[in-house]
Parts: sequence; structure tokens; C-alpha cells
Amino acid sequence: MTTVASTRPASTPSRPAALDHRTPSSERRAGLLLSAPFVLVYLVFVIGPLLIGVVVSLFNTTTVKSGLGEWVGLSNYTKVCADPLFWQAMWHSVLFTLFTTPPLVVLALVFAVLAARIRRGRVFYRIAFFAPYVVPSSVVALIFLWIYTPQVGLAPKFFHAVGLPVPDFIGSTSGGWTAVVLMTLWWTFGFNFVLYTAAIQDVPSDVYEAAAIDGAGPWQQIRFITVPLLGRTTSLVLILQILASLKVFDQIYLLLGGGPDQSTRPVIEYIYDTGFTSYRGGYGAAATLIYFAVIVAISAVWYGLRRWRATRAAA
Amino acid sequence: MGRAMARRRFLALGGGLALTGGLSACASPVVSGLTGAQPNTADVLFWNLFTGGDGANMVLMEDAFRKAHPGVSLEATILSWGNPYYTKLALATASGTPPDVGIAHLSRLPLLAASGLLEPVADTGVTELGVTPDRFTPAAWRKATVDGTVYAVPLDTHPFVLFYDVDLARKAGLLNAAGDGLKPMSGKEAFLDALKAMKDAGAQYGAVMSITADPSTAWRCFSMVYSGLAGPVVSDSGTRVTIDDAAMEESFAFLRSLTSGGLMPGSLTGAGANALFSTGKAGFLFDGEWQIPAYRLVKGFHFNVVPFPALLGPKPVAYADSHALVVPRNSGRSAGRTHNAALLIKSLLDDSAVWAQGGHVPAWLPTQRSRAFLDQSPQRNYVQAAFSAVYDPVAWYTGAGSDFQNTVGATIIEVLAGRLTPKGGVAAMRADLKRYTTARPPVTMKEGATR
Amino acid sequence: MSTVSTVTTTTRPPSGTDGGGRTVDPAKMFNRLCATCMTLFALIWLVPFVWAIATSLRSDGAITEHPTSLFAGGWSLHAYRYAWDNYPIGSWYLNSLVISALSVVFTVVLCSMAAFALVFLRFRGRAAILALVTAGLMLPSEALVLPQFIEYRSLHLLGTYWALVLPYAVAPVSVFVFHAFFRGIPMPLIEAARIDGASWWRVYATVAMPMCRPAAATVAILTFITSWNAFLWPLLVLNQTKAQTIPVGLSSLVSPSNIQYAEVMASSVLGFLPLVAVFLVFQRQIVQGIATTGIR
Repeated sequence: MTTVASTRPASTPSRPAALDHRTPSSERRAGLLLSAPFVLVYLVFVIGPLLIGVVVSLFNTTTVKSGLGEWVGLSNYTKVCADPLFWQAMWHSVLFTLFTTPPLVVLALVFAVLAARIRRGRVFYRIAFFAPYVVPSSVVALIFLWIYTPQVGLAPKFFHAVGLPVPDFIGSTSGGWTAVVLMTLWWTFGFNFVLYTAAIQDVPSDVYEAAAIDGAGPWQQIRFITVPLLGRTTSLVLILQILASLKVFDQIYLLLGGGPDQSTRPVIEYIYDTGFTSYRGGYGAAATLIYFAVIVAISAVWYGLRRWRATRAAA
Repeated sequence: MGRAMARRRFLALGGGLALTGGLSACASPVVSGLTGAQPNTADVLFWNLFTGGDGANMVLMEDAFRKAHPGVSLEATILSWGNPYYTKLALATASGTPPDVGIAHLSRLPLLAASGLLEPVADTGVTELGVTPDRFTPAAWRKATVDGTVYAVPLDTHPFVLFYDVDLARKAGLLNAAGDGLKPMSGKEAFLDALKAMKDAGAQYGAVMSITADPSTAWRCFSMVYSGLAGPVVSDSGTRVTIDDAAMEESFAFLRSLTSGGLMPGSLTGAGANALFSTGKAGFLFDGEWQIPAYRLVKGFHFNVVPFPALLGPKPVAYADSHALVVPRNSGRSAGRTHNAALLIKSLLDDSAVWAQGGHVPAWLPTQRSRAFLDQSPQRNYVQAAFSAVYDPVAWYTGAGSDFQNTVGATIIEVLAGRLTPKGGVAAMRADLKRYTTARPPVTMKEGATR
Repeated sequence: MSTVSTVTTTTRPPSGTDGGGRTVDPAKMFNRLCATCMTLFALIWLVPFVWAIATSLRSDGAITEHPTSLFAGGWSLHAYRYAWDNYPIGSWYLNSLVISALSVVFTVVLCSMAAFALVFLRFRGRAAILALVTAGLMLPSEALVLPQFIEYRSLHLLGTYWALVLPYAVAPVSVFVFHAFFRGIPMPLIEAARIDGASWWRVYATVAMPMCRPAAATVAILTFITSWNAFLWPLLVLNQTKAQTIPVGLSSLVSPSNIQYAEVMASSVLGFLPLVAVFLVFQRQIVQGIATTGIR
């Protein structure tokens, strides 16, 4: 608790906002010097690749060879757009997002709300749900591959025991999606759970007290107080989850290798395959930027919506 | 709070101690990770992609090298077969931290070589150790040559071959007088008759092949049949589709006649093929010779392996690939390390009789002609296949485990299963190839003395 | 929330105590149902860990014969010995540790300096930097691995630790954590130090930084986890067998045809143990760090 209290400033004292002619030069210099290392590294190693990506996408660059290669104009972009495999890969990333986002958001909300009603054992829930999140993806894949092993694995045994048909977890497309979605659910669920738990703790308790005096039962309290007050958090969790899911690579690459027959290959693996396995740097860069533009557009729309809502609420 | 602080300090101290301890213990790789120099974790680093029987044989050969060169430490790493291996090899080389010696399929060589990832063999010093062109199977050596420069030292040739059940073949009257091979046959009629004879002798199927979800095997088989009639399906370094429509339709029709007539199942997994063949329910098995060790393990099962006879064309054709040893380019590699790499390559060649246990035909003629190899049966039966070997066409996208093989193999599987007519198969194949020939190659390649 | 239930129970007539009341308080029932449900799910969540550990202690033969009976065939640490001897796990640990430690140091220093400047100082470009950092929060920099690789190759940084440390050292999230914290420091405190003649650098190092230990701890822990668990970029950058990090090194064991279940699970346990241990020690700080930043 202490950490939260102290990282969230209670008061916001007035800050130097605008630069004016009275600002001493020592302050200006110090500001530049102190921010310079961050800005330099940021420009070179984060913005740099973006610009290099733009340049490289206009050339037939070989990923593993120095030099840009020949100028090809925008033809890399037209070729990427004309490749059905690229759009299939994009669709797989979207599909993964559609499969994972609803359970990851809804379950996290439900569990966080339920956990908030329980007095004891909160640390235990926190540990159980969040511990998987700190495990490296390849270790998660190792464990789940073993769980999914036909005949001897835990998952086929479980499906068999409860009388469900046992899917071919690694060998078929539908089984593969099941496997990846269950694994992702286990792995990343704790993150959203923690975000919701923190948000619920911010709901002042006198709201509940008032409601309880008015005779609201637990279900009504959840339905009419907790969930509506979590709207902003849900919006944040949702966008974080969508952005994270669209970036999926680790789980599908490790567990299925994008297979069977590339039927689950996400777009980052498409970029990996064309750009690194086939060395088609320019082409891969074009695919990267198209994908990048989609992500930025989604972020921008979300950000815009949030601003618009905020201003509407303020007005 | 005070206790928490103390605990944090203690942990930081512990972490710091562990870090310094670790640092001094393994200082050199850490320092090299910071400075970017080659981590010299051994005197020669060797990467390969062999597991199972091949992997065990390779370990024996590595141990022989260690024994013969006690002063040279060897670190061998096994990576996942196929694209993951080749991606890693390329990235490591581009990063300036490649192994000193790596395995590569000759079918994947064109792209590796044209991208400047490999040291020409002439620069590695193996020539001085007696590794000269005249001591290799000519087809393999030619395939190791890209644009006039030799980039790989072939270790073996591994052809697609014909396995047969000895007991069934005897019953079917297919064995020769000596009983150590099949009676000579040539042409598709004779081959179909042999399959029928096997079926009549009590086998459920004349022949089996792994088809379901195994595009590489389908491609190998198709490639062998088609190459009897026509040249490569793509040429000019893979930029032009050069399908002979009539020949391809005939090849498809022939393969389909095997499955449509009930001589061969039209869809079967690798495990299914294994089960049918090893239990006497199939007379022939079409597969790579690397399956030999697996069938040796089956108790009481007598099989033999021969090269495929001529099927559609006048001459027998063997679809094959070769494992080869390459030295990835590394500007920072010292002369001493290069010499160690050369020593390892020479040692592996000299030891390739061990390698042949896995079913492969050694490309190194001194071994190929040695007793140690000629005593190995059935390997000695198909040595000739190494000389008439047809490899994947030269292109930046072809080769073992490539997307190309998966794509065209999937079309061939459709034809075998009867979901596509032979004519439709030709059109589908043309469409598959077009996707690759119209894509812009990442490197410019000249088709030199490779064919 | 504890208040909720007490309030609910006291505002109603006491309806029998735990156990055999005729009219059971619905709120209490509901809460008990919640607890049961949650505990059940929490236990399910622990199953993969338990399963991995149990498998790692058995022998491969016993596993294939009796996959689900955990005690068949006895337990031993043999698989751990095998894993440790056959894979350079020690080197992988060391690499991960060095890379994560360097990332933490660089992130804390670079990001706190930038945040300090943004909060307390007026200078040209301040607004631009703030905009850059805000935009950076939303940019999927992981998607840029291909151009990143090409850039690092031409800078000859591939195969070095720096290739992994530098891009993680400038996480916009970390700037925001420090930014939020510095805004909580009363301005008079800073001004007092300035009047005493301290340079801005001294104010940063001796006044601001010691006060923001909690923020530094949050950033440090989160950076450590992110950098330790990174996969795609280290997969591309560190290729030498012994130069890899734990996640990348262990990924080479992921194969459906690998039937050495005990050995693979032993390696997995070795792979998750350090981080789970770190998590158990710092779980409060980690969870609250996540909650305050809200961004991975």
C-alpha cells in the first residue's frame, strides 16, 4: 500500500510550464543535458529503426548483407498487399485477438470483482494468478507442450475424463488455436487481474456502505457500483489487451511454428519468415510498416475516443 | 520499513556477489558479449541439425575428432531441422558470431552462397589437407559449386530410394537369382507389374509412401518421376517457370494410377506407412534411405533397398540431396581457428563410414571405395544413385524443408489423393511456382556451373 | 471491501451463526461462494507449475507408463543433473543476469534523468520530448525488429549485450513512472536546495533521486522482468550457443518430438524458478508497480 500511496501524488503543485525569457540559462542547459542521454538513445534505437524501415522498404535489401540493394520504389508495398499470405497472417493475428481478448478481459473483471469480496487469501490469489506472467514464454511453451502431449499429457487425459472429444492440440488448426488460447489465458490473465484489482481498491468504501444501507445486495452492489466505476479501467485493459494480442508471436511460434501448414501463422511470424528466413529485408520492412500503420491507427482511434469522451464529460 | 530496507540491501549485496562470482568464473564470454568479439567458448564451433540415428552417428564422429586432436576443443550444437536452423545460421553469420563449421543441405546452398554468408572452400585451407574435387562424387561436387566457386564440402548423398520386403518379393518372384536384389526392370509397365505381383503375393498394398502432411516426401517422389522426362521446373535461378506441361501431366497421371488402382493408399501418414511396411502389409516403400536405421530396429523384418528403376524416361533417375560442410564467413576468425575448422571437416570426411551407417552414401570417394563402406548393406546397393542424382532446381527459395517444398508438395498430395486431376495439377503447380518466380529475389544469382 | 461485508451483516438482523442457521444471510452465502470459486480457480492456475515440478522429479519410463500417477516409479533429481550437464544453463543464466542488470541500471539512470528534466526544468524542446515519450507509449516497437536488425547490423552491435540493453533502456513507461513520482515532490524542497547553491545535477542526484526510491524500485523490477523474459529480439540478436539468454536457450528444447519429458521439465523448472522466486519476494511491489503504470 505504501508504494501506491507514495507513487500517486496526492497534490500536484504548480510546475514550470512554459519557457519564458526569464528562465536562467543554467536551467535550460541542465534540462538539455539531463534529458540528452535518454533522447539520444531513444532517437537512435527506437525512432531510428522506424526511419530505416521506411528507407529499406523502398529498396530490395538483403537482410543478411550490408548495403541497401537496388531501388524498387513502392513495389515492395504493392507486392505485400497483393500477397494473400500476408493478409492471411494479418487475419490470424486478428483472430488470435478475437479469441483471447474477450476471455482475458471478462474473466479478469469477474475474478477481480469476486476477489475483492473476500477478506482472506488475497495474497494467495495474487500469487496464483500473477506468477505465470513472470515466466518466460519459452518455458510456458515447454510446460504446455508437455501438457498437450497426445496420450500421456494432462490436457488429453482431462478432456477424455470429462467426456469431451480430445482435440489434436498440435497437429490440427482448431486444436492449435485451442492450445494457444488456453496457454495465453493461463500466462497473461494475471496482468489484467491486477489492473482491475487495483482499480477496485480505488472505489471509495463509503459508496458501498451507502448502498448497503439502502438495502443493495452483493449482486446489486457489483452490478450498479463496481462495474460502472470500472469503465475507464476496462477501456485501458481492453486497448492494452488488443495491442498486446495483435503483437502475438512467441506463443504461436514456439508451440505451433505457425502451423499446421501456416494456418495459424501471425503477421509477426510472416515478417520473420520473409525478412529473416528468406532474407527479403526490403519486402519484410514494407510488411512491417503496413502492420505498424494498422497498430498506430488503432491506438490513435482509442486515444481520440478517450479524449473526446473526456472533453464531453468535462463540458 | 527498516526491515524491508535491510532485506533489500541484503538481496542487492547477494545479487552483487553472485554477479561478481559469476563474472570472474566466466569472464571471457561476458567480456566478449560486452565488446562484441567472438565468444571463444571452444577452439572450433560446429552446428548441425541431426537428431535420432544421424545425431548419434555425428556424436561418434565428433568424439573421434576429439580423440585425434586432443589439443582442439570442439563445441557441437544441434539445432532444429529445417528453416529454424537455416535462419539461425544466416542470422549468426550476419551478426558476426557464426560457428566455424556448419552443416548445410546442398539444395539450400544457392541462397547461402549468393548472400555472401559462406567462405569459399578454397580459402579454408582444406585443399592443403587433400580435400580436392577429384575425390568426391562428381554430382555432389558440382552442386557444391555456385557461380563457379565451391562453397561446401559434400559429406554424403542421400537419395530417394525403393525399399522392398524381401519375403514378399521372393513370393512375388521379383528377386534375382542371387537373392540379393530385384530382377532388372525398366519402364512404368514393369514397375506397375511388380507392384501388382507384390499385392498378389499377399500384401495389402503393392507400395506405400508417407503422404498426409508430408509435402517433402511427395515432392521428392514427384521430382524423381518428372525428372525422367524433363528438366527442372524453374530455371534462370528460379525466375522463370519452365514446366513441360505434357511431361508433368504424364507424371501426375502415372502417380495417380498407383493410388487410384488400389496399388497404393492415396492418403497415409508417415507412421501409417511405417506400420504397413514393417508388418508385411506392403511390398514396397518409397522413402529416403535415412529410414533404414528405423527399419533395422524391427525384429524379424527382412527388407532391402535398391535405387528406383527407370520409370517414365529411358534412364533411371534418383532424386537426392546432400549434407555438406560449410564454413560461414566471419571476418574476425583467426587463421588458427580456420585451420581447426579445416581439420574438423577433414576428420568428418575420413570418418564418413560411420556416417554411412545412417543409410547415406559417402561423397568422399576414399571412404566410398573403402571396405568399411562397401561392407555395409544395403547402402552399397544404391551408390550409383549418387552419381545420377537430381537435386532441387537452383533458386533462392528451393531446398530441404523450404516453403517451396511445402507448397508444391501440397499440390502433389492433392493429385495423389485424387482431389485434383493430373491436368488440374499442372495448372495448380504453375500457379504455385509463379508465386515464387515473380517474387523479387533477395539476392542476384547467376546460374553458373551448377547444372 | 472487508468493510462491505461487515456493514452488510450488521445492518441486518443477525441470522444465525456460521453453520446451521435456518435463514442464511445471502450476502454471506454469496461471499462464501466467491471464495470457493476463486480458490478453485487459483488452484487450477497452479496446476501447470505443480505438474512441471512433479514431472521433473520422475523418470521418463515411469512417465510414459503412468502419466498421471505422480508417485509411480519414485522421485529423483536425476533429470536436473542431466539438464544442467547437457545444456549450458549456467551460461544462459549469466547472460540473462548481466543483460537484465545492465538494462535496469541504464533504464533507471536514463529515464529518471529525463523525467527530472521534464518535471522541474524549463528548456527548449521540453514539449517535443514529452510528445515523443507519449507517442512512444503506444508505438509497438516490438514490431520493428526487422529494420532494427538491419540498423544494428550496420552498427556492428549484433551479438553483443548492448543490442539487448539499449532498446530496453529507453522505455517510455519508465519515464512516466518517474514523471508521476517527481510531480509529487514539493517544489519548495527543490528550490531550497537550489538556494543553498546546489547545481541541478546535485539536486537530481542528492535530493530527487533519494526521495523516489519506490519509483526506482518499481521501474527496476519491471525492467528486470521485461528484459529477462524478452524473446523475439534476443532470438534474432544472440545466436552463439553459450551467448543466449535463458528464454532463447530453452526455446531450443521446444519440440513436439522431444520425449525426454523429465529432462525438459527440469529445464523448465530451472527456467522459471529464479523469476518466480523474485516475484514471491517482491510480489507486493511488482503487482503495485503494474497497477500504477498500467502498461507492460
